[in-house]
Amino acid sequence: MGLFMILFTLIGGITLSAQSSINGTLSRKAGTIETTFLTFLTGTLFLTIFILFFGNGNVLGLLDAPKWQLSAAFLGTMYLLLTVMAVPRIGVIATNIAGIAGQLVIGVVIDHFGWFNSLVIELDMKRVFALLFMVLSLYFIYRGNKRTSEESAA
Amino acid sequence: MRLLSYLLALMAGAALSFEGAIYAELGKSIGQIETSFYNFFMGSIILGLLWLFFGKGKLSYALEAPKWSLLGGVLGVVYLTSIVISVPFVGVGITMVAVIIGQLVMSMVIEHFGWLGSKKTKINKDKIFAVLSMIIALVLIN
Repeated sequence: MGLFMILFTLIGGITLSAQSSINGTLSRKAGTIETTFLTFLTGTLFLTIFILFFGNGNVLGLLDAPKWQLSAAFLGTMYLLLTVMAVPRIGVIATNIAGIAGQLVIGVVIDHFGWFNSLVIELDMKRVFALLFMVLSLYFIYRGNKRTSEESAA
Repeated sequence: MRLLSYLLALMAGAALSFEGAIYAELGKSIGQIETSFYNFFMGSIILGLLWLFFGKGKLSYALEAPKWSLLGGVLGVVYLTSIVISVPFVGVGITMVAVIIGQLVMSMVIEHFGWLGSKKTKINKDKIFAVLSMIIALVLIN
C-alpha cells in the first residue's frame, strides 16, 4: 500500500510540473494573478461535476469542520504570494531551492511530532541521512540550473 | 534584505507541507475529493478578490489562448488530491519527497524537449545527479 501511494504521489508531482510549464506560458500573456485565478476556477468547475457524479464524501461537512482545517486554503495562496515576493530579489532558482528545502524540512518535522494528528514517524539516523542527500540534490539542482542559465546567456 | 527573501522562500515551501498535513486531516472527515473541491473553491474566491484589486494582466486572454494552456487547473486537481490521499498512509515527509522527484524528472523532460511552451534546455549531468540523490533520500526516508 505504501509503495503504491508513493507511485501515486509521483504522478502528482508530474502533473504539478506540467501545470507550472503550462501556467508559465499562459501567464506571459494573461498575467500571474489572472492565470492563478483561472487555475482555481477551472479546477473548481471540474471538481463540481466530478463530485456530483462520483463524490462519496460529505461536502456539507465543511460547515462543521474545525476552522483550523479550513485555514489551509490560505496556505496555498501564501505560497504563491511569498514566492512572487522572493523571486525578484533572489531569482527563480534560489527561490525554488529554498522553497523545496522548507517543504522537506517541515515535512520531516511534522512527521516527527505528529502535528495535525498525522502519522508519527520519528526523525532517526536514516532520516537524517535522507535529509543530507536532499541537500546534496538541491546543490546539484543549483549547479545544473546555473550552468543552463550561463549557457543561455552566452 | 536578501536574507529575509530567503526566509520568505523557505516559509513558502513550509506552507506547502503544512497545507498537505492539514488537508489530510480534513480529507479523513469530509472525503478527499471534497477536500480538493474546498481548496479550489476557496482559492477561487481568494484569487478572485486579489484579481479585482490587484490584477494588472488580461483575464480575457483566456478566450483567445490555445486550449491546452487552460489545462493547468485540472492538473492541479490531480496533484492536490494525490497529496490528500497519500499523507495519511505514508506521512508528510515521504509524500513531499515523492512529489519533488516527480516534479524534477518531469520538468527535466519537458524542458529537454521544449514542450508546453517552455524554453528548450538540455538535460545535463547535474540534473541527473540531483534526481539520483533525491531517489536515494526517498529510499532512506521510507
